[in-house]
Amino acid sequence: MMSLASYLIISMVLFVVGLMVMIARKNIVAILLGIELILNAAALNFVAYSRYVTSNLDGHIFSLFIIVVAAAEAAVGLAIVIRFFQIKETIHVDEATQLRN
Amino acid sequence: MIQQLFGYLGYYIPEIVCVVLMTSLLVAESTVKDEHANRGKIIGFALAGLTICLGFLFANLGEEPKIIFHNAITIDPFSTLIKIIMVMGTMGAIFLSYSSKDIYSNLKSEFAIMAVGVLIGGMLLASSNNMLTLYLGIETLSILSYVMSSFKRDESTSTEAGLKYALYGGLSAGVALFGMSHLYGALGSIQFGEMITKLPGLEGLNLAVVLISFVLFFVGIGYKISLFPFHMWTPDVYQGSPIPVTAFFAIVPKMAGLAALIRISMIFFSEVKILTVSWVGLMLAISALTMTVGNVTAIGQTSVKRLLAFSSIGHVGLMILGVVVLNDVGIRAILFYGIAYMFMTLIAFYVTSHLSDMYGNDSSEVFKGLIYKHPLMAIIMAGVLFSLAGMPPFSGFVAKFNIFSVIIEKKMYGIAIVAAINSVIALYYYVKLAKTMIFSQADGEVKVSGFTGGHQAVIVAMFIPVLLLGIFWEKVMILSGNATIFIK
Repeated sequence: MMSLASYLIISMVLFVVGLMVMIARKNIVAILLGIELILNAAALNFVAYSRYVTSNLDGHIFSLFIIVVAAAEAAVGLAIVIRFFQIKETIHVDEATQLRN
Repeated sequence: MIQQLFGYLGYYIPEIVCVVLMTSLLVAESTVKDEHANRGKIIGFALAGLTICLGFLFANLGEEPKIIFHNAITIDPFSTLIKIIMVMGTMGAIFLSYSSKDIYSNLKSEFAIMAVGVLIGGMLLASSNNMLTLYLGIETLSILSYVMSSFKRDESTSTEAGLKYALYGGLSAGVALFGMSHLYGALGSIQFGEMITKLPGLEGLNLAVVLISFVLFFVGIGYKISLFPFHMWTPDVYQGSPIPVTAFFAIVPKMAGLAALIRISMIFFSEVKILTVSWVGLMLAISALTMTVGNVTAIGQTSVKRLLAFSSIGHVGLMILGVVVLNDVGIRAILFYGIAYMFMTLIAFYVTSHLSDMYGNDSSEVFKGLIYKHPLMAIIMAGVLFSLAGMPPFSGFVAKFNIFSVIIEKKMYGIAIVAAINSVIALYYYVKLAKTMIFSQADGEVKVSGFTGGHQAVIVAMFIPVLLLGIFWEKVMILSGNATIFIK
């Protein structure tokens, strides 16, 4: 039987993994995947709280919106990454160093 | 039920006007031929649409506050005034995009489409009354901003700016969302009005969860208005983006984020003692650090765009002091500051845009001896710089004075001293730029060309409020004082 705690632990793990991916990986596509993990952690939280704690549908609606917005954000992010790749011929984040003091 | 929903649409006309405008601009963009004359027509159309929207907003200003769409949206004088500031800023930026050469001439009206889209997001954010509309507002604002900052798609700097913005933005939105999800769990609702009823009964673990979640939640907004730990993207994005986009970023997303910050602080943190204390402490520390980092880093900058980016960080650090006091006087001070700041920023970017189009870069060298090349431009720019530094008789002085008076009234002397020191630092780098314009000799006998009647009329028209608000400030002060926030 799944309880609220197990969902919260899973979402916490997803969140931390997403953060670690964003910090540790140098590949921009992997960083975008990290963002998706963080968003999914939040969506999972919303659904779990909606099922176990609050008896309303707010959480379900919210997670649907999160999925839509995440798709839009990934589309824009990948478009920018493609442009970056066409100009620099790499998707290594350390190459993005032109703007500095 | 359905009739009631349609009845609510009457309060939502400004936003509907913007949505219709954005859609028709998209259609116009894809059907109208690619000629320079048509570009002028499309931009004129966008400005006309925004003027209509502005008219409806002014008409809404006197309305009774109202919550519409099942408690999702608040229409109150506060949000309406913020929307007026944002619409004016958008109009200025769109007009600038027409004359600027920094945006490619083969782009007809993409700037206007995106700017109106960001404006819609900002309006949603400014009048949001639950966490869902707040999140959608932030994301509408952000996702279109990523596109705007990478407008110069053949240049690596602009693409890099867009990339950095998208990565930082995605991270902070995700963190904010994670905080929101735990707030939903602990407080049992996404409506602000229902959430506050649960706050006084919290204790133990729940209280700890709520406090941490509020900090995470704050990351999302703090990032949008570039407060201290989340300000790293600001200078890079401002420098990499085309100048009209930078001018736009300095006004619209900032005002929308500030509106959301004010609303959240007023709703959640004026009732429960422990929340108030921790919030005020956090905001005081962040404000002091934001001001100091922004102003100190601005000193060494040679790129004027970067300098204005850091100065905007400093200004926001000062503005959020109006939030710390958690009363109507503080909100009034912020609104006045916002109005004055919008005009000053637009003029500063207008002048920078023309000079950098002429010389091909935006270092402070291009300002050398501007007084000999174009006296009117130099005098107005000097006035704006003094106003940004907070010198009388310009409006920047009254704006700063208001913030100082509200914090001194609350006996927060420590932060007042920090703010005063920061004003001195800011004065140094603004006056340094003004000195370059007036006392340095120009390199050659080059005259500023292309800054003709129309452009001069625009900057003079925008300079009039900067000057007059510093002397006849009562009207606007009453206007912002009436713009009360509506909390259910």
